Amino acid sequence: MLEARLEQAELLKKVVDAIKDLVQDCNFDCNDSGVALQAMDNSHVALVSMMLKSEAFSPFRCDRNIALGINLSSLTKVLRCAQNNDILTVKAEDAPDVVNLMFESSDSDRLSEYDIKLMDIDQEHLGIPETEYAATVTMPSPEFQRICRDLSALSESVSIECTKEGVKFACNGDIGSGAVTLRSHSDVENPDQNIKIDLTEPVALTFSLKYLSNFCKASGLAKSVNICLSNEVPLLVEYGLAANSYLRFYLAPKIGDEE
Amino acid sequence: MGIKQLYQVLKDNCPDAVKEGDIKNQFGRKVAIDASMSIYSFLIAVRSDGQQLMSDTGETTSHLMGMFYRTLRIVDNGIKPLYVFDGAPPKLKSGELAKRFQRKTEAQEQHEEAKETGTAEDVEKFSRRTVRVTREHNHECQKLLKLMGVPFIIAPTEAEAQCAALARAGKVYAAASEDMDTLTFNAPVLLRHLTFSEQKKEPIQEISLDKVLEGLQLSYNEFIDLCILLGCDYVDPIKGMGPATAYRLIKEHRSLDSVVDSFNNGKKFNLPEDWPWADARDLFLSPDVLPADDPTIEAIAWNPPDTEGLVQFLVTEKGFSEDRVRAGAARLGKNLKSAQQSRLEGFFKPVERTKEEQERLKRKNEQKTQERKTKQKKEAKEKKEAKAKPRGTA
Repeated sequence: MLEARLEQAELLKKVVDAIKDLVQDCNFDCNDSGVALQAMDNSHVALVSMMLKSEAFSPFRCDRNIALGINLSSLTKVLRCAQNNDILTVKAEDAPDVVNLMFESSDSDRLSEYDIKLMDIDQEHLGIPETEYAATVTMPSPEFQRICRDLSALSESVSIECTKEGVKFACNGDIGSGAVTLRSHSDVENPDQNIKIDLTEPVALTFSLKYLSNFCKASGLAKSVNICLSNEVPLLVEYGLAANSYLRFYLAPKIGDEE
Repeated sequence: MGIKQLYQVLKDNCPDAVKEGDIKNQFGRKVAIDASMSIYSFLIAVRSDGQQLMSDTGETTSHLMGMFYRTLRIVDNGIKPLYVFDGAPPKLKSGELAKRFQRKTEAQEQHEEAKETGTAEDVEKFSRRTVRVTREHNHECQKLLKLMGVPFIIAPTEAEAQCAALARAGKVYAAASEDMDTLTFNAPVLLRHLTFSEQKKEPIQEISLDKVLEGLQLSYNEFIDLCILLGCDYVDPIKGMGPATAYRLIKEHRSLDSVVDSFNNGKKFNLPEDWPWADARDLFLSPDVLPADDPTIEAIAWNPPDTEGLVQFLVTEKGFSEDRVRAGAARLGKNLKSAQQSRLEGFFKPVERTKEEQERLKRKNEQKTQERKTKQKKEAKEKKEAKAKPRGTA
């Protein structure tokens, strides 16, 4: 039996909105430590990894490991019926056919309930090795979103270069080229605007802007975003959520053709 | 023609081994495609109003149309195709080929007859059966591929064996063919339906040999024996041998030698007089293929397309639409130019399923198979009953 209550439906709404264009169907794996999700996009280029710890819910109860296979566009339809500050309760039996979502309005006595049919999803689970990244850039999430949007106008891919001087996003397209460089910066009055670069060695990698722009849909979830890079491994874009929870995106780099 | 009903055996005994997915799943992979099989299917399938496509001068262009647009679709999805053409057929296949030739001749006669007396449907049906891939078709397709910058090689004998060898050597990720015997030739991964048209919405089947062997609980040698018993291109089929029996016999005897012995003792099955199963097995085990370090294979490369050459060949000679050919060439060039997007599997490895999960999956599969069988039985019964009832009494 699973019963998880979220004070704000907004959290789940935004998470699902952020990933629904990458992944169509996926399993929400529930156990006593929380709700986890891992799924790759169709082309096996990007991976979404979400963890909502039990502390993010109040209360949270899950007696047995349950995998809820849900079609994300169905889930989106149902979540649209919830207001951002509704209280959301997710319920499921031990071997469920449906998952039940209940929305309670915080200021009136309105109570709505929806059941979504579950599906059987046979999914491969990927092991993600613990990586010490050579460079970790922390920046305001709207800033990252803006860079991706601006550069998408020129090209399909962006090269991200991290050196002592700063981080440079550069692209080269048919109409010309563009680059955005950011330096470490700390704003005492407005810590959200901080840009921090942790670097052990310089890195330079190329990524698809289409995917990065897609990841940026999660910008509303957190004020700042961590971008972690190491040469020849996938990029990690991490949005931290309350109570140690997170939404992470991994993206395989583009490589120069070997031929 | 591949292996008779092997797919059925796999569906029943190890549904795990067959994964169906979108063409996008194959993104970023190199694939060796059995060209001869594809050309044949283009000649049959690429038609309008049941007629093969023709240029102004009356030459067939179905194969070129198919080759051009289906290859474009493959390249658009980030797959790098390598085509493999058939060489001379192995000697053992002569029996099968003679039969095919006879069938074609019969179909030709029926086609003529249908043209005289039959309905339009009949004409179309028989015209499809008379289709043959000529040397001319092959040459034209090779010329087209060269202009498109897509590599191809000509196998010493069977194309699917060469595809399998390339995949086994790691030169490509998978072998693509409709023939199930590609697996018997030791291809680690077989892709089916890759060259089908977009409109068919047919999912791509990805069959992994390792999972097949694991699911059937057979060694590779035993698997070959099973395929021969089911019926392959190289020996005559045995009367009365179905997928269930063949699988049971191999499980019981563990090799074709003792299966044949048991035939000779008991008289349940009549072996054809000339049944060179040992030769067929040798052919599967060591087919005549180019080794992976052969210079022609080392030289495989994807080149930018020759746009003017394509226009000259397809538009001027074959009457294709110029705009479309140019747009296609631009797509080919673009997909080759952009830096290759890598796949996550290169970095993150799938986690092995735990025992518990495996058990659960197995139970689920068994249940599904059971359900399907019951359904089939029920349908068969209903059909029988419907037949048994005299007309007009329902």
